[in-house]
Amino acid sequence: MKKTILTAIGILCAAILLANGGQFEKAMAKNIPAMYQASDPETLLGVVNQLTRIGDAEANRWEPYYYAAFGYIRLMTMVESNEDKDKYLDQAIAAVEKGETIKSNDSELESMKGYVHMMRVTVDPASRGMQYSGLAMTSFQKAIALNPQNGRAHFLLGRMQFGTAQFMGGGDGGACESFARAKAIFESEEKDEKSIAPSWGLRGTNSAIKEMCEGE
Amino acid sequence: MKVPFLFLYLLLSLQSTAQITIGGYIKEKSGEPLLGVNVFIEGTYDGATTDINGKFTITTYETDSVILAASFVGFYDHKILLDKKTDNVQLEIVLKEKINKLNAVVITAGSFDASDESKRVVLNSLDIVTTAGSTADIPGALNTLPGTQTVGETGRLFVRGGEGRETKTFIDGMIVHNEYSPSAPNTPGRSRFSPFMFKGMSFSTGGYSAEYGQALSSALILKSKDLAELNRTDLSFMSVGADIAHTSVWKKSSFSGKIQYTNLTPYFALVGQNIEWDKAPTDVNGNFAYRIKTSKTGFLKVYTNLSSSEMDLYERDIANPDVLLPTRVTSDYLYFNTSYREVFSEKWGVRVGTSFTESNDFASQAGQSREEDISGRHGKVVMDYIHSDKLSVRFGGELLLRKGDETLINDLGQSLDGGLDETITAGFVEAERYVSSSLAFKAGMRLENNSLVNEVVANPRVSAAYKLGEKSQVSLAYGTFSQAPSNSIIYRFNAANQEHAKHYIANYQWLGEGRSFRVEIYRKDYSDLTRYSDEFTPSSFSFDGDGFAEGLDLFWRDSRTFKNTDYWVSYSYLNSERHYRDYPGSFRPPFVSNHNFSVVAKRFIQSIKSQLGLTYSFASQRRYNDLNEDVFLGGKTPNYHDLSFNISYLYSNQIIFHAMVNNVFGFNNIFGYEYADRPDSDGFYASRPIRPPAKRFLFLGILITLAKNKSISQLPNL
Repeated sequence: MKKTILTAIGILCAAILLANGGQFEKAMAKNIPAMYQASDPETLLGVVNQLTRIGDAEANRWEPYYYAAFGYIRLMTMVESNEDKDKYLDQAIAAVEKGETIKSNDSELESMKGYVHMMRVTVDPASRGMQYSGLAMTSFQKAIALNPQNGRAHFLLGRMQFGTAQFMGGGDGGACESFARAKAIFESEEKDEKSIAPSWGLRGTNSAIKEMCEGE
Repeated sequence: MKVPFLFLYLLLSLQSTAQITIGGYIKEKSGEPLLGVNVFIEGTYDGATTDINGKFTITTYETDSVILAASFVGFYDHKILLDKKTDNVQLEIVLKEKINKLNAVVITAGSFDASDESKRVVLNSLDIVTTAGSTADIPGALNTLPGTQTVGETGRLFVRGGEGRETKTFIDGMIVHNEYSPSAPNTPGRSRFSPFMFKGMSFSTGGYSAEYGQALSSALILKSKDLAELNRTDLSFMSVGADIAHTSVWKKSSFSGKIQYTNLTPYFALVGQNIEWDKAPTDVNGNFAYRIKTSKTGFLKVYTNLSSSEMDLYERDIANPDVLLPTRVTSDYLYFNTSYREVFSEKWGVRVGTSFTESNDFASQAGQSREEDISGRHGKVVMDYIHSDKLSVRFGGELLLRKGDETLINDLGQSLDGGLDETITAGFVEAERYVSSSLAFKAGMRLENNSLVNEVVANPRVSAAYKLGEKSQVSLAYGTFSQAPSNSIIYRFNAANQEHAKHYIANYQWLGEGRSFRVEIYRKDYSDLTRYSDEFTPSSFSFDGDGFAEGLDLFWRDSRTFKNTDYWVSYSYLNSERHYRDYPGSFRPPFVSNHNFSVVAKRFIQSIKSQLGLTYSFASQRRYNDLNEDVFLGGKTPNYHDLSFNISYLYSNQIIFHAMVNNVFGFNNIFGYEYADRPDSDGFYASRPIRPPAKRFLFLGILITLAKNKSISQLPNL
């Protein structure tokens, strides 16, 4: 009898501990896919706000801000006016910077920063192109220097190279090489469904390769 | 016995984690509901986002007293303490709007900001580099903005009826003396400072901050770049020389250096000049910058510029063109600048700067010569106090020491020495107050004492801006400014009074998506200008000269209407007269032209991977003193025209080719006339027009970037 009770108490304690300790992972596991899947700005902003809350509540996790920044980039693509686009990109940068105060010189955050700069170009290529494409390139370079095995940095760099090359009148500007590198990295990585570390990019890389590097 | 207890515990714990709901409604001061506000219980994940009606519902298991926070971009965070067990409450929260720097009114009267940081600028620093005809010279590009006058024989910035010396350059807040490199007589000089060194510049054509003194007309405020991001090496080979630049980056610091060698001998051998050169201009110029992050918020910049140049040429005697007068110009220059900034708290910040200038300029012609040594020291401390986003105050003090030494030798071998040793102490305070995001005021006061005249000058400066709509605003500015007279006056008479100017400016600005428009009217009154009957006789000096300038500046920029094309149009109308120097009354000075007009266009053409630029400039007639006429300053030059073209071809990400031609059509521009010292036997003064040294200037260059990572792009430098 005593043993049963002790076991029950033990299980209960473990369950309570798990429930608290796993709260972060659980919340992230729910909100990361929600961020990817939200298809209207209102839902997406809800998810981004939730990620921000998680980030603010957790003193030493950079991931919530990373995904919040990603969410703001997605939001930016859903709105029409340039002013709104800039507003979301400003918030994306602010989120990346919050993440950086927790983890400085991080390859993932650096590539996200470059991603924001890259999207800045798309708002107004004529007047922003020169300045922000340079900033984006610099960020991707830095991200790769910080971690050469960051597939997302190679993928984003490829997109920037392709965009620049197209703007410059053709060619791929080394983009396909970057995509191939990204693909190789993604495919060598072990899939860990539970991990909250950034793992996106393979699908985008594959379709980029298909669209930009194959065919003709 | 113990089992029921456990159940009881379970039951209790279930009850204690029963959820409660907090609901409410969030709106703006105006009553408008706010969509997308993040409402949450501090320190937890629990929260919600307001819907289109501003409504939210939070469910939480927290039953202790909690802090409910509402956060929304552009608004102040709002926090409410909720006591225990406030289930099912309905809250009404009003968020207060922040003065948002992005959409708030900005005081723009008198100033053109060019920056890479802010998105809402009229120009950015790349625009400077890519303007056709500017040859990557900062003043060259700024001369396409309204408020400037084309004075082609100097290459300097003449702003709103002011002489070139009335525009002062500041680097990171510190004054720069002698900022132009030397040039042959009546040929334009260039700024010693490369635009690539700066992340932003503010070109003020009047009404600028009380932080800046000793400039009557204009302040060019340059902000140097921060920490570099990547290691790189750049090489350039040009038709006029070569340079090498290198940047090294460490964790918290970076170093950039550039050494430039200019030699015009091969170029002059190919392209005929109006000047007979014995030794074409050569110049060695080094720029070094070191930046270090001293703490999370602290930053130290050290910058230095060293250069040495010389040239030898023959000028023809005006009366006897067959007589060649050997002419030599040399210059040695050192500028050193440090600036340190630190933020102590959210409210307090400090900037400390020092600068140091040593220069030696020498010019001689057929036995006559002039040599001048200038040594300048500048120290400055500025405190920034941010009371709230509605009120900030800046105050500081500075000390400017300047020593000058001039030796003039005439063709009879007689020499005349002059010296100056000036100490300027100044203090300033300036407050900026935002009444709302549509109305802002700035008021400042600058007190300055110049040891040479020992008189304290008070220069009040006020400005205001009001936002009319989402895109348009009006600004007004008033201020008084003072500056010591030109060195040549002080060398003769040390206690020469300071000169003064009052500026009145009204400005309207419209900033749309990819388009901007501004119009500015102004009036400037000069007083205490130096007058003399003979500039070498101090007893003939008096300091009661005056003058005025009034006009209208228009600016339109559009990067939207035509695909891949960006253009801007500037027009300035200026009416200005002065009674100073040896003028017998109030006259329009020779550097003033009533109408200045320019169009700058840039277009990127993808199919040829090239950026093309075109600049057309027009300036109406200028006056000159025709010694053979009785009328003072009665001569009129023809109108000035120039059409410059440039092309930058991106061969690869690492290699760019540049080509530039100015005055493509070879307009025959005349800036004025110079006259022989003495009349001939018939009482006639021989004369000769002042023209550019060659009709056209051609520049070719190739820029190569070497970096570990091949994909570093030169595109931003295009």
